[in-house]
Amino acid sequence: MSAIQTSALTKRFGDDVLAVSDLDLTVESGEVFGFLGPNGAGKSTTINMLLDFVRPTEGSATVLGYDTQEEIEAIRDRIGVLPEGATLYDRLTGREHVEWVIETKGTDDDPDAILERVGLTPDDRARPAGGYSKGMSQRLGLGMALVGDPDLLILDEPSSGLDPTGIQDMRSLLRSEADSGTTVFFSSHILSEVEAVCDRVGIMNEGRLVALDSIENLQDEAVGDVTIQVELESVPDSLALESIDGVRQVSFEDDVVTATCVAPSAKVDVVRYLDDRATVTDILSADTSLEELFNQYTGETAESPDEMQPEEVVA
Amino acid sequence: MNVVSVAKRDFLDVRRAKLVWAPMVLYVLFMLLFYWGQSNSTNPDFYMILWGLAGLGGALVIPLAALVAAYLSIAGERESGSIKYQLSLPVSRTDVVLGKLLARSTVVAVALLVAFAVGIVASQVFVPDMTVEYDAYGAFVALTLLYALSYVAVAVGISAATSSRSRAMSGAIGFFFVFNIVWNFLPIGPVRMAEFVLTELDVSYSDALLDLIFSLSPTGAYLNGMKLVFPGDFSALQSTTTASDVFYVQGWFMLVILAGWIVVPLMVGMWQFGRTDLG
Repeated sequence: MSAIQTSALTKRFGDDVLAVSDLDLTVESGEVFGFLGPNGAGKSTTINMLLDFVRPTEGSATVLGYDTQEEIEAIRDRIGVLPEGATLYDRLTGREHVEWVIETKGTDDDPDAILERVGLTPDDRARPAGGYSKGMSQRLGLGMALVGDPDLLILDEPSSGLDPTGIQDMRSLLRSEADSGTTVFFSSHILSEVEAVCDRVGIMNEGRLVALDSIENLQDEAVGDVTIQVELESVPDSLALESIDGVRQVSFEDDVVTATCVAPSAKVDVVRYLDDRATVTDILSADTSLEELFNQYTGETAESPDEMQPEEVVA
Repeated sequence: MNVVSVAKRDFLDVRRAKLVWAPMVLYVLFMLLFYWGQSNSTNPDFYMILWGLAGLGGALVIPLAALVAAYLSIAGERESGSIKYQLSLPVSRTDVVLGKLLARSTVVAVALLVAFAVGIVASQVFVPDMTVEYDAYGAFVALTLLYALSYVAVAVGISAATSSRSRAMSGAIGFFFVFNIVWNFLPIGPVRMAEFVLTELDVSYSDALLDLIFSLSPTGAYLNGMKLVFPGDFSALQSTTTASDVFYVQGWFMLVILAGWIVVPLMVGMWQFGRTDLG
């Protein structure tokens, strides 16, 4: 059984906005799935449909085999959710939040053990959540999602508001959840975090799923050129590197030869070729970076994702 | 069961909000004022105190207390997004509406019961000579709780049907204005309008019919429901209500109207909240 399955899932807001278009997505049990895309790509709307916060215009979805509209309570019983852009209850303490989730789900978790796990100190636990920083709120939200050892974690932008330590903590927590068999589905517009933890990613852009594969495969299939830089003791006069199959462009700078290849396999040929004719002192190879990959799929220019607008176009 | 879990968390949360207690403090202060007033009278009358409380509470304090306690119950959570934490747990949207009703009604009821307990103490302090009619007081408390519940239901219904704080507030104020001030206290209310139209059309009508129109708002039903509290010969009541045998001006029918004001707004709120997108 798939953890998540959507078929032709579509959501329109009004007549003009097509937030999610004809989405067919399957997330298998036990995998860590990264749901990527720039802000406004339809990630949150998709997640909101999985949780029955938003009703699809067309198509349907199942979570853990249950229909998201007909059997939502059975779904909510078995999943843990970290919603995006949601505030906690200002007047309740961190501990009261977790106790409430435990009671509603009818589990026998120890609230302190959970709060310990997400790194909230006993002092913080006893304070009203209204005074929490964004990072502490995310930690508490994550703790609430972990109650009842859910079969599936759905996390919407889990790293937003976390500092580097927090991101590190969250990553290892997701990894350990995944190791214990929990399916993890999380959205992000920060690529590095996806690269580090995901088995598979889907990339959304303008409401459509534009890529779906493991990161390795995506890199292999990427249409982008790969470059290799080889440093030589001295550059011989005539090299004619362009004669090698798959080499598209060659440039020289001091003693460094930069060859742009259309396929990764050509890089090896370049190195062999150069080694035959000169003394190689260093090799620098650059894969298509995940960032470039992302930009290729989403049509973004070389803008760093951190500089993107933090606002979702469609909530 | 899930309704209870929603209500418990909400009660824990809202009882810490100081604003919800403010109207009740006002109620207690007016109550003390009425007792003090009767203590200066040569012939203190317990029913006069109740009459004053019925008018002031019915027109202003009870609606205010209930609306303030409940108008943000759902719309506020939608605006802040905390509804997403709530609905990520195994509860339905209907559970949320009913849980909110339970929690906010409890807050208002607890506050009212404290106020009425203070009233008993105040009567002993200010006017020890006056006879407290405990039966009538009990009926008054019960009717007032039902009235408060109807206003809480209206506020929760409005809150469930609106998506933001500002809309919920407009809805609550609008309801108070139309179904309280205009309906029961202004000379342009539906009673006068009906009277005018029926006279113009030369249709005969009874005073009981006009009294029914007056009673169709929660406040009208509450005030006419006082027939169940006061003795039949209480002059102030006689002058404001119609003596008729028709069923729809009887005291028990006022309870039916109040029950309607609990059920209908809730159904509308649940229907609207159930079908909406929570973005």
